[in-house]
Amino acid sequence: MRWYDRITKIDRRIIYLLLTSLVILPFFLKITIPQNIMPQTKRLFDFIESIPPNDKAVMISFDYTPQTQPECHPMAKSLLKQCFSRGIPVIGLSFDPQAPGLAVDALTSTVREFDSLATNKEDSLVYGIDYVYLGWKSGRIAAQLDMGESIAGVFPRDYFGTSIDSFPLMDKVKNYKNVAIVVVLASADYPLDWIRYPQTRYGVNVGAGLTAVMAPKYYPFIQTGQMSGLMSGMKGAAEYEKLVLEHGYARTLGTAETGMNSQSMIHILIMIFILLGNVGYFFSRRSKKGMK
Amino acid sequence: MSSDPWIWIGAILTLMIFSFLYKDNPFYKFGEHLFVGVANGYYIVFYWHNALKPNLFEPLGAGEFIYIVPLLLGLMYFTRFIPKVSWLVRIPIGFMIGWGAGLSIPAYFQAEVLRQLEGTVVTPSSFANPMSGVWSLIILIGVITTLIYFFFSKEHKGILGHASRLGIIFIMIGFGASFGYTVMARVSLLIGRVQFLLGPWLGLID
Repeated sequence: MRWYDRITKIDRRIIYLLLTSLVILPFFLKITIPQNIMPQTKRLFDFIESIPPNDKAVMISFDYTPQTQPECHPMAKSLLKQCFSRGIPVIGLSFDPQAPGLAVDALTSTVREFDSLATNKEDSLVYGIDYVYLGWKSGRIAAQLDMGESIAGVFPRDYFGTSIDSFPLMDKVKNYKNVAIVVVLASADYPLDWIRYPQTRYGVNVGAGLTAVMAPKYYPFIQTGQMSGLMSGMKGAAEYEKLVLEHGYARTLGTAETGMNSQSMIHILIMIFILLGNVGYFFSRRSKKGMK
Repeated sequence: MSSDPWIWIGAILTLMIFSFLYKDNPFYKFGEHLFVGVANGYYIVFYWHNALKPNLFEPLGAGEFIYIVPLLLGLMYFTRFIPKVSWLVRIPIGFMIGWGAGLSIPAYFQAEVLRQLEGTVVTPSSFANPMSGVWSLIILIGVITTLIYFFFSKEHKGILGHASRLGIIFIMIGFGASFGYTVMARVSLLIGRVQFLLGPWLGLID
């Protein structure tokens, strides 16, 4: 077998072994590959920075699934840290059936971390005053449209079964007029519904944190101003973690930033394999032509 | 190393699924079938407690008999298993198509056609910042040449041919970006699993 045939027929198990090694190595070698912050991530961060404290709420639609946790969970935590640090109330909800467990985990772990730093009772976060998780609702389009009239009408009870009328936060937040932005953290096309219905009908600001595979589809909505910002995949999550850390809203970087070192190494490896494949294909085609 | 049995179950199942990368084997098959079973069970229980019970059976139990209408519409879907009355399935399907089309067609045109057209139009204000003006022009050329590529009523010759070839370049750039992002997404999932195995399971990283 000639060299150019050999490089186009590398055993896939060797490729998997190399991929796995390059994912693992950066965790131990402490390699740091610098990440630039993309404008759409900065735009979302700046939008949330512009919301005055204790005024309008940020609504977070947790619509990602366990398999996409490495991309979307760090986004949720960074976003929550920014909101809580700036005194912005948070309302969580979900339309994906697999999301509630992850939403509760993101909220409780961030609140726990936040409260551990609180020096007095006033600094700690209170459920029903600083944040609420409304849970899951079926029929998302109807629900999204109806929340323009009344959030309590769509979610009379929160995820834990408590009437939302008993929460001081929900006295202030009646409908989209009291919501500064809806940030959709999703692993499926949920943001599209937010853009098509509440954004078009009520002018709600929509931001998103999406898995990388979905991100290219949403860039046109940034350009038209239908979306106020976007976090794209693990890179977007890492960028947001960096911004949150730089502004003093977090003490350490999260899992996305550390994962991006492995991500960059893998990208280099894939580029090498793509080049090798093309070189091999080019030479083998030329040799076949020569034989003819 | 973790002492939590759930972490161990998660780690062992992860390794079972990854074993497929070497070759198909009984451990992979077990992990795959268990996943399908658990996922189905989760959805059944979830929809019962969060959709059917609160949205249908509880209101019916409380005497709100208007809910018989959605119940009947839902049950009609099952008539396709009974050949004699299978035509009844057309009623809920017709209802859903009518509702869906009425709701989505205007919204789709507004959000994804008209607003996108607006975003493509180049106006003098697009050149307020010279670089954004250049990008606006590139977007306009990209949209027009891509549309020309999909215009099949006339043979792609002359100006039309040049434009459609330029359109292909824009389409290929789009495919390249999508492929790059897809690679990033899939690698992210692997990184997530590796972080889980090295962190919570083996305790080798923070």
